[in-house]
Amino acid sequence: MSQESFYKEISEAIVSLDRDKAISFAKKAIEVNMNLLDVVEKGFGAGIRRIGDLWEEGEFFLPELMLGGNIVQESMEILLPYLKANKEDVIPGKVVIATIEGDIHSIGKTIVATMLSANGFEVYDLGADVSAEKIINTALKKNANIIGVSALLTTTMIGQKKLIEILEHRGIRDKFKVILGGAPVTKNWVNECQADGYADNAIEAVKLIKKLMD
Amino acid sequence: MFKEWLKDDSKIILFDGGMGTEIFKRGIKPGKLPDILNMEQSEIITEIHKAYYNAGSDMCQTNTFGSSYMNLQKYKLEDRIKEINEKAIEHLKIVCPPNHLIVGDIGPSGEYKPPIGKATYEQWYSSYLKQIKYLEPGIDLWHIETISDIEEMVAAIQAIKEVSKKPIISSMTYKKTKRGFFTIMGNSLKDCIEKVENENVEIIGGNCTLGSKEMMELIKEMKNITNKPISIKPNAGKPRLTQGGITHYDQSEQDFAKDILQIVKLGAKIVGGCCGTSPKTIKEIKKGLDALV
Repeated sequence: MSQESFYKEISEAIVSLDRDKAISFAKKAIEVNMNLLDVVEKGFGAGIRRIGDLWEEGEFFLPELMLGGNIVQESMEILLPYLKANKEDVIPGKVVIATIEGDIHSIGKTIVATMLSANGFEVYDLGADVSAEKIINTALKKNANIIGVSALLTTTMIGQKKLIEILEHRGIRDKFKVILGGAPVTKNWVNECQADGYADNAIEAVKLIKKLMD
Repeated sequence: MFKEWLKDDSKIILFDGGMGTEIFKRGIKPGKLPDILNMEQSEIITEIHKAYYNAGSDMCQTNTFGSSYMNLQKYKLEDRIKEINEKAIEHLKIVCPPNHLIVGDIGPSGEYKPPIGKATYEQWYSSYLKQIKYLEPGIDLWHIETISDIEEMVAAIQAIKEVSKKPIISSMTYKKTKRGFFTIMGNSLKDCIEKVENENVEIIGGNCTLGSKEMMELIKEMKNITNKPISIKPNAGKPRLTQGGITHYDQSEQDFAKDILQIVKLGAKIVGGCCGTSPKTIKEIKKGLDALV
């Protein structure tokens, strides 16, 4: 089998949500000593991007998104220890993500975290109802590039603004790109908070973060 | 009385508008479950219900959207399930005028089935059953709303039918995709309608997520699939926070009411509003409905 058709098969296994096949391809790639960077990018990466396209086309929904994300994440865990390149070169960025204090809605945030991991990002998901201070301190400790803050309620959205104010107050605003998420978040709110962007769904969030990392 | 309304072709049933957004307007502390106000600040709840009846609502629903067992667990309030649900009925009874109805509100559990969460049909069923038995004695009909997984909807319907013979409005929340209306879990409009028809619910509905313009498209499609009466409760656009930290929805009451009248012309039997709508919105719809007669 040519390399190109192997990549295609991996991508097809991801899109058809075939976990066992995807895992066996990851193992096979290691066994036959393939260029794993290419395997990740052209095989698994292409698969997860196609899942994103299918979501946007209304063919895939949350279960497929989550399942596809989990399969790629699992495959990446097998591949990562064998990647010859420096881990830092492979990972497109580090993201600290959480739902803000006072808000227990975590599903949207979890899906974004899964899709980011599936796209190779190193993700620290702190869960729901997390204080701005804890998010910032984790981002500093992990040397993150991106902070993602979610809020589903208009009453808790104010916490997103507070987080950015704390970053400014501490003189570390330019260390991170801050992106916002959650149903009530709009472009106007992003402008008012002076955040770096927002996304309506997990697929857009991945695109946004990739753009911010360029 | 509800069944008579259903039989009367000239009767359009006016439901209430948003409860959560009305509560937030009054400054509830972030992180609090709005349903806890049934105990802590009941005057706010009765005031909102009263305003809806005064504005023209034929029926209002209990402040129990988040009072299923599973959802209460998230707030560590599951031990108070009886009190929260029973108080909700009390507050509505105080202000419900004669010849008006009380609707038992059942919202989503907040838990998803795998691969997103860990919920099962049995958990949903038992969670709803625990809530429903406290509401049953005081209500006239049911509104199961904002559900995005048809399996969860079926669990709620079957739990109701275990203890109640009262009519059910089964209202899913849809998003518009390039291929039509689906729930975020991927259930198509047709699949949802067929499944709830099999469960013999009296009314089929759509609420939340979509605004009034998109709901016009939704009801057109619904009418092609079902002959059951339809209930529609759209959102009033998207919320935004003003400089003062107040939540504001940009769609005007007049614009919303105009769309609702169109939705009635397209065949809705029950209309009202979801997030961002207020007694003012209902008043505006009432004005329009009265002019139709």
